[in-house]
Amino acid sequence: MAVYKRGYNRYQGSLTGRLTRLMVLPRFAWQRLLEQRLVIIVMVVSIFWPLACATFIYISNHLELLEGMGNGASKLLEINGTFFVIFMNFQATMAVILASIAGPSLIAPDLANGALPLYLSRPVTRTDYVVARMMVLVGLLSPVTWVPGLLLFVMQSGMAGWAWFSAHWSIAVGLIAGFMAWILLVALVAMACSAYVKWRIIAGALVLGFYFVLAGAATMINAVLRVDWGSVLNPAKAMDQIWRAMLGAEATSGPGAWACAVSMAVVAMLLIAVLERKLRPVEVIS
Amino acid sequence: MSVPEIIFDEVSKFYGEVLGVNRVSLRIPPGITSLVGPNGSGKTTLMNLMTGLVHPDRGRITVRGLSPRDPEQMMRVTGYATQYDAAPRGTTGFDFVSTGLLVYGYKPAEARERAWTALERVSLTDAAQRKVAAYSKGMRQRVRLAQALAHDPEVLVLDEPLNGLDPLVRAETIALFREYAAQGRHVILSSHVLQEVDVISDQVILIANGMILAEGEIRSVRDEIQEHPSQFLIRCRDASSVASMLFSQDHITQIKLADDRLGLLVMTRNREEFSKALTQIALGGHSIESVIAADENVDALYEYLIGGGR
Repeated sequence: MAVYKRGYNRYQGSLTGRLTRLMVLPRFAWQRLLEQRLVIIVMVVSIFWPLACATFIYISNHLELLEGMGNGASKLLEINGTFFVIFMNFQATMAVILASIAGPSLIAPDLANGALPLYLSRPVTRTDYVVARMMVLVGLLSPVTWVPGLLLFVMQSGMAGWAWFSAHWSIAVGLIAGFMAWILLVALVAMACSAYVKWRIIAGALVLGFYFVLAGAATMINAVLRVDWGSVLNPAKAMDQIWRAMLGAEATSGPGAWACAVSMAVVAMLLIAVLERKLRPVEVIS
Repeated sequence: MSVPEIIFDEVSKFYGEVLGVNRVSLRIPPGITSLVGPNGSGKTTLMNLMTGLVHPDRGRITVRGLSPRDPEQMMRVTGYATQYDAAPRGTTGFDFVSTGLLVYGYKPAEARERAWTALERVSLTDAAQRKVAAYSKGMRQRVRLAQALAHDPEVLVLDEPLNGLDPLVRAETIALFREYAAQGRHVILSSHVLQEVDVISDQVILIANGMILAEGEIRSVRDEIQEHPSQFLIRCRDASSVASMLFSQDHITQIKLADDRLGLLVMTRNREEFSKALTQIALGGHSIESVIAADENVDALYEYLIGGGR
């Protein structure tokens, strides 16, 4: 029996924008993560180093507190790009630990529950889904990375004055961009591991293992081939070089910032390819 | 007025070397359409294709004039309920449905109102604030249905939507499908319960090995199957003499007499001739109480076209 009568009306009201719709997806994930005690503990621990750095900045701007230590102290306590690179390296480690705890629950439950068709049968593309999942980690890692970094920069600018700010404003740009690049890499690693391993502990170990294995491989290449370019494979080392270039700090020995940037871009592309392959709304059993 | 249809034009979909569907051409009018076929036959692939979750390797699909490659437009007119429990952990039924609406772009107040209406339609308001994880199988089925119809779609695509429902809710759900269909919408569903498909469907699509075996109204499809004789159940007082009269006809291939000798199962190769013959018998003074087509149902079509093994 064919039905020809049209007895309904399409919704004619206004709709929210794409970004608003996208931000709906991470909200349960944030809620769930912030209910985990371990996540809260790591986030609290992540505040200690910024607090120490803040103390350091305060002292460096109040050298009268260190009377008697001579000129060496003022040189030692100089706040510059190197100071912020050291800050970034420590916080980057905390970000990896946090991602290894939060990351495994990003995608694996959706794959296990067959939730991808549900998301993707709405006005959401696969890219939207990945971006939304990435937002979970961006939201979680920002308070331990660029946010405290920027606060430290503002604090130093406030204490040291306009002259220091105008000479070092690029540090703030480098700090935000550098941490964003790190968050992107960490998030891609976490999501790729989550897409392949459904057991949280194993996926978390895999996230941490990713950095150790690459660092080990880099060391091995350097030792066996008697070269130093192998360090481009070590994400921590490569990022350190990139950050140093961005923040105007002195570079360490090894491959240059551009080589490291290309290497990290390739790693990111490979991780995206892994996600592209795994995140499909249908599972085909051959 | 042109009828909005779902059109598959020579559509093929392969997953690597695995066949999804092959050279499928269909025109699905509004109403309730059931996809019937064994496991792995391509039913879900057809559903995924029409909801834009996968795209064809060859051919073209339009859903009421929209391309599935345009999710912004397409997803607003389609509602899909898969057979999986897809609610995020810790979510209540109400949150599950309203969050889906927020993703569609409804404002929070509108989303809340629509979510509540959808939950009402599937009789789940009492459990709306309970976590989906604590729902029974039937309740999960209903909440999936609620999220699929909350945005009032024109095309409802439902994978095994009646599984796990108790008889009362099942009847309500079928009534809901009929109401949607009567409004000129598409309700596409897959089901393994063939008796149910029979009762609720306006048309069926039989699929096996990724190919369409038959499509259309059940009666029309049955008419097309020439190699299997049509079966009729006749209830009458003098079944033996009716049987002997019918058996003299060339088109009758087999007659079985019921144990109570008040009924016959007749198999004929020519429905029209059979009809004429039966009219003659009735006019001759034999009392025929009822004549029912015994194989004008999906069960029989399945048996004839796909065979056993379901």
